[in-house]
This record gives sequence, structure tokens and C-alpha cells, in this order.
Amino acid sequence: MVQDPLDAVRQPIETAKGLPNAHYIDPATFEQEKHAVLWANWTGLAVTADVPENGDAKPVTFLGMPLLLIRDRAGLVRVFENICRHRGMILVSEPKKIEGAIRCPYHSWCYATDGKLVSTPHVGGPGHNTHDAIDKTTLGLTEIRSHIWFDTVFINIDGTAAPFQQVHADLIARWAAFDQPMHHGGPDSRFALDLKTNWKLAVENYCESYHLPWVHPGLSSYSRLEDHYNIAEPGQYSGQGTLVYRQLSGDDGQTFPDFPGLSDNWITGGEYMAVYPNVLLGVQRDHAFVIVLEPQSLAATREHIHLYYATAQTDAALRAKNATRWRAVFEEDIFVVEGMQKGRHAPYFDGGRFSPAMDGPTHCFHDWVAAKIATHRRV
Amino acid sequence: MTLQDRLLAAHAHGDRHALVALYTQAADQAAETDAACFYLTHAYIFALETGDAAADALYRRLKAHGRV
Repeated sequence: MVQDPLDAVRQPIETAKGLPNAHYIDPATFEQEKHAVLWANWTGLAVTADVPENGDAKPVTFLGMPLLLIRDRAGLVRVFENICRHRGMILVSEPKKIEGAIRCPYHSWCYATDGKLVSTPHVGGPGHNTHDAIDKTTLGLTEIRSHIWFDTVFINIDGTAAPFQQVHADLIARWAAFDQPMHHGGPDSRFALDLKTNWKLAVENYCESYHLPWVHPGLSSYSRLEDHYNIAEPGQYSGQGTLVYRQLSGDDGQTFPDFPGLSDNWITGGEYMAVYPNVLLGVQRDHAFVIVLEPQSLAATREHIHLYYATAQTDAALRAKNATRWRAVFEEDIFVVEGMQKGRHAPYFDGGRFSPAMDGPTHCFHDWVAAKIATHRRV
Repeated sequence: MTLQDRLLAAHAHGDRHALVALYTQAADQAAETDAACFYLTHAYIFALETGDAAADALYRRLKAHGRV
């Protein structure tokens, strides 16, 4: 009997191996993972700050799918397939404000911002805008199941996942102190990095602290390895925390205002979590960040980074300094995630061995991915 | 400049608010109901797209002819 290589991944960390090379370099495995991991779970797509005002619409291509992120007339952020129900034409080709209705540029079928089909011009012949065969109530835009948490728009593409609040109940409770208004820092607090790597390697690198003193010596000068702890909740999420978070200060000693009502542990520490599959979050007393990993292909990932603050108005110079600092940290990781991607072409690499002391968060992620693939194979 | 010329110019410039007014004018000048409703449809669609307040009145005109 041939043993499934994923069985080795699901062993206790002392004996487990990492995911095999195929999960990083094989197109067929990527396609399988796309369905088992990225479609079947709550996957990060964007942040609501991408569509800040009612009527704002932004086309987003995700795993080749044309999607439309929109804040409807009532202020609800939702996700639709970005195509007309008539001929499948792309509806919105660039970010724009929908003043009234979404008009298909082909035959001008019109949709409200909540997805309802509102007009079908000439569908019954010239000047006749109805036809018995065309029931507008059944031809609204196809909505993708979505959930907003931490300003992040999560989507469950195949519609099979348990409700988000159920899947992430533990994490939501763990971070309940941050369930309060967060304010995106604006254009200077968003940036993107293009990585020549499979998206999972960005998750794996993010959730462990083992590499910090080697890859981020500057960060380690004020956030030492021994101040960090591992977080690994099997089947749920993993990451790292620090017991010592030192606030950034400006030239005049100014700091960002704290999120109100935090307990003492949040005043001194911070946590950095991988919300499986592809969202990376960080919380600290005075700012938070959201990273959405966009898997563009098997070996290409775009990292969308957003910084958030406790108040709508913050010191612009300090905000810029903070963005520069985080950009430098995240850029330091690029050679690592790209180097591991190249390393996956070594034919004798067996997935690697984990440090039981330091690699718990990475093993937790691999175990989760392997479990999702096993479930998908059974269905 | 004829109405047709102004319609073509508005299309060329993507001036959808002008298209609402020009197609309404074309409907008002049409000799037959079918032709009027054709133009009214265009006026209505561009009004819908742009959130133009004229959309309601245009809808009612089409409704009166059983066209929506």
C-alpha cells in the first residue's frame, strides 16, 4: 500500500514532515488546493477600506475569477461575480463610484448596487423592455458568500464552510478587546509587495518567530526572540505573540493613541496571527495591520498590507514613519519566501523537519492544509 | 448641429447626462409610439446609470405604454 505523503504532515511535530514539494511547484496540486483550501474556507479577498463610500465599486480578480467588491447604497459591503447575467460580459473594469445603477457596457442591462436586476432594455424587441421569459427577480448578480471581520472581507467561494463566527469563534474571543472601530490610515498606510513564491510560504514565514533574530536583526533589537511565544491552535489558527511591544515615537516623542479599554497584557504585548488560509493580522496597543495574500499563481503572490489606528486622525509624519518601518520589515522577508520557493525544486527535499520548540505555528498550518485536502478528496 | 449630431457627440464624450436629455428630446419628436419608446428606453437607462432624477418620470412614461 502506497502511503499518502500527507500522512507524514499530520504526525506530531516531533516526527512530522512539512508539506511535500508538489504543494509549491506542481500545477495539478495547486489546482486541487485551490478548491480544497481557498474555495472551501473563509479566504481573505480585500478590506472594506477599499470601498470606503456607498456606491464605491472595485473589480478584483481572485484566482482568475472576476469579482466585484462593492459598498451598496445602504452601506453594506458585498461581493458579486463581476459579470452580467445576460452574456457574461465584465460589468465593471476599473474602480469607480456607481452613481445610480451598474450598466453592462454590452446590451445595457442594469443592476442596482445590491445586485438586483432592474432593467433589461429592448429585451422584448426595440422599445419593449420586458419579456415573459425574462424574470428579473431570478437574474440578479451572483453573490459570493462573504463576511467582514477586522475590516477584512472574507469570502467562501464554494459556500460550504460553516459560518465565519463559528469557524473563528476562539480567535474572535481571544481578540475581543480589538472588536472596536479601527481606522485605516489612508493612502500612506497601504502598500503591496509582489513575491515570487507560493502564497503558503508567506503564511509559514509570518506565523513563526524563529527567524526573527536572523532575518530581522533590527526588529530583534527591541523585540527579542526570548520575549516571543508561539500560538498554535490545531485546526484553527497559529501565529506568535510578544510580551514586549515598544511603541513607535516621533521626533517630538509623540505616539499614536491607544485603542480604548485594553487590558494590561495588551498594553505591554502584541500578537501576530495567520487566519487560515491567507490573512495575516497583527494587533498592538496603538495600531493593527491586515495583510491579505493574493495567490496570483502557483509561484506568485501579491501581499496587500493595510495599517489601522484607533482614531480617524493621526499624526501624518508618525504614520509615514510607521509604514516605512513595517515595509522594511516585510521586505526583509522577501528573500526568505522566494528562497524557500526555489528550494522546493530540489527533488530530494522531503518537506523538511520542524523544531518542536520553535516551529509549532508552521506545523499547525501544514496540518490544517493537509486536513482540508484530505476532506476534499473524500467528498 | 442636428439632434443626431449632438447624440453622437455625447456618446463620443461619454456625456451620459446629456444623453438623458437628448434621447428624451428624440422621444418627444418621434412620430410613432414604438420609436418614442425606443428613445425613452435609452434616456431611462442612462438616467438609471447616472442616478439622474429624470429616471422616475421616464419610467412612468414607459410604464404608460406597457414597456417596463
